[in-house]
Amino acid sequence: MTPDTLKKVSDWRFGDILFCVATDQQNDRIWFGSSDFHVYELNTSEEKPQRVAFEGDGHESYVTGLVRVGKALVSCGYDRRLVWWDIESKRSTRRTVAHDKWIRCVVASPDQSRLITVADDMQCKVWDATSGEMLASFSDHSALTPHHYPSMLYVVAASPDGRWIATGDRIGHVAIWDASSFEKVGELETPIMYTWDPKARRHSTGGIRSLSFSPDSRRLAVGGVGKIGNIDHLDGPARLEVFQWSTGTQALEREDNKKKGLIEQIVWSPDGKWILTAGGDNNGFVTIYDAESGELSHQDGQDGHIHAVAFDHDFSNFYAASHHRVTRWTIS
Amino acid sequence: MNQMINRRALLRAAGATAVVSNMAAIDALSQPSFASELARGEKSVILLWLAGGASQLETWDPKPGRLTGGPFSKIQTCIPGVEISELLPKMSTRLDETAIIRSLNTKIGDHGQAYELMDRGRVGEPGVRFPHLGAIISHELGQIDSRVPDYVSMYTSTEGRRQGSAGFLGARYNPMFLTEKMMPENIGRHDAISQVDHQDRAALRDFLAKRFVRDLKNPSVHSHENAYERVHGLMACDYLFDIDKEPQSMRDHYGPTQFGQQCLIARRLVEAGVPFVKVARAWWDSHGQNFETHQELCADLDQCMSALLDDLKQRGLLEKTLVITLGEFGRTPQINGSLGRDHFANAWSCTLSGCGIRGGVVHGKTDEDGQSVVEGEMNAGDLFATIFAALGIEHDKEYMVGSRPVPLSDFGSTPCREVLA
Repeated sequence: MTPDTLKKVSDWRFGDILFCVATDQQNDRIWFGSSDFHVYELNTSEEKPQRVAFEGDGHESYVTGLVRVGKALVSCGYDRRLVWWDIESKRSTRRTVAHDKWIRCVVASPDQSRLITVADDMQCKVWDATSGEMLASFSDHSALTPHHYPSMLYVVAASPDGRWIATGDRIGHVAIWDASSFEKVGELETPIMYTWDPKARRHSTGGIRSLSFSPDSRRLAVGGVGKIGNIDHLDGPARLEVFQWSTGTQALEREDNKKKGLIEQIVWSPDGKWILTAGGDNNGFVTIYDAESGELSHQDGQDGHIHAVAFDHDFSNFYAASHHRVTRWTIS
Repeated sequence: MNQMINRRALLRAAGATAVVSNMAAIDALSQPSFASELARGEKSVILLWLAGGASQLETWDPKPGRLTGGPFSKIQTCIPGVEISELLPKMSTRLDETAIIRSLNTKIGDHGQAYELMDRGRVGEPGVRFPHLGAIISHELGQIDSRVPDYVSMYTSTEGRRQGSAGFLGARYNPMFLTEKMMPENIGRHDAISQVDHQDRAALRDFLAKRFVRDLKNPSVHSHENAYERVHGLMACDYLFDIDKEPQSMRDHYGPTQFGQQCLIARRLVEAGVPFVKVARAWWDSHGQNFETHQELCADLDQCMSALLDDLKQRGLLEKTLVITLGEFGRTPQINGSLGRDHFANAWSCTLSGCGIRGGVVHGKTDEDGQSVVEGEMNAGDLFATIFAALGIEHDKEYMVGSRPVPLSDFGSTPCREVLA
């Protein structure tokens, strides 16, 4: 059953752009990565929390992904680096050049033993989360779009059962991989999300920006944007497609013209009954859909694009990393 | 050689008043001297027009590490101490023929008005139809007896394709404008007329026209004759637009994109004597997803601009071809709520390469966040004066429009000597 309420309860303003967020399973600390190249901690239980920057050898460009593995945080950035951070000391413990181009996303395997990254070198790489050793590198994604421009590999997801990895790119291609053998086991196409404008603008701004397996790992939700009228702006409907990925069957297709722009993140409810999407154009949105019918259940918005969301331990709050702000919503 | 140039100069002087319809007199204050004609000798301009406004911060004036700087780093170029965006790696090795101007302050941030400003070098005025850059160049550098077009403009994407107008110079200097296809339309021989018939008709017309000209000493007759010659010239030069006639290796050098193909056509045109070619690459108006837009479009610009400069240089054409990379404005240092940058005309960049330019120079400076010009500010008139000076054209030469003198570049503008060879 979808939630009864969706409510924005807190808003912390900053001057930079926040691209990623991770939450603590024990208390009210959150961490986020910024356009000022830093990783920050914010204790949201304080009345007027002040963010604290992590120190040491960090990033040299935008911090675009952040994941917690045990007592460490691992961040990725457009500087091609992965950085390990000790949560308590708030200092970096390891830094490595992990890809040849921008790293777009990092996720952890469900048991947190591995990290999985994707980058604009079009490679998906698997790493030992503790040692930092690279275990595998593979790709099913073209370096160039069909119109001869650089493609981008935006997103990777790990299935809750730990068996599968999915990767999605700029031209709407999704590959699904065996998480043990790293062999490709499936693929999907979402061509509408490749927003190439052949005449008026001759470029594109869309692509697959979010992927998420259902709790039973059988369905895969794919998020991006639909046909854009004027790609000077993100002037297209937020687009969600859900597949029974093993058969390639599309189970759901939704476009939202009320809240436009990219779906940057998808989160399934623990019971698989509903799906939360977040993203936006120059304004952000949070939308909750019934996972079976696709019916829109709740929606809220804000100034500034939402780049990422993360739920807390009991799934009652989530935090959004956005343009110039971090926002907390509650659901019940 | 001198005889040929003198003949052209004479033809220019003789034909000027005949081919211009809406001016009382052209060049009345400054008849072209043979010396300046020699200095200009068959020079050309290729304007790479970055329609919509490319970001100076993601191209020629990067500010990494600042909140306004975006995610890209800067890279060292072949010129010690000069750094540009990492999005232009090929150009970073080819700056020895290129001057970067980082200090344009043109103030107008509206597409339409800014386009007019940067294509005419001055703000419009009621009652005067100022010519655009291509028309001025084609008027100044074009050959009256040329069989190729003087001004070709390729603008094949985005709405509101901006053609540019010859203004008071008259329709003779309007561009051959390509919007849908890269091959000009309606210049082919009609199917119903055979090649032999076509040649016979031309020969007969030529015979009759020459006799008519001999008997009737009137400039308008010369103009009429000249128009026929130009039509025949255009019909005969359609091969210039056919890049299939280039080796595959050359086509590969420019790359497979439309912009690359058009840049290759531009080289073919200037090689054949076309004095002004404009290649407009849309659409840089990145209000959303500025960085990804520039990843995509800068890859195109880097490939095509570097290939063009290489090609011109290898053919010995770069020393007489000025390559300009320019748009209507730059983009805001502030990054907006959808990772975009908006219109910004207060502190932005362009480049000049080749003919008359001192390569490796960086002129002007913006502050650490790119918000304002702190050294070497240039306006549109100054840029135009610099372009004219690089081509050996007197920037303060005046056209007479009725009884009003109009200088080529706006009143008070001065060439930037720092970037001139």
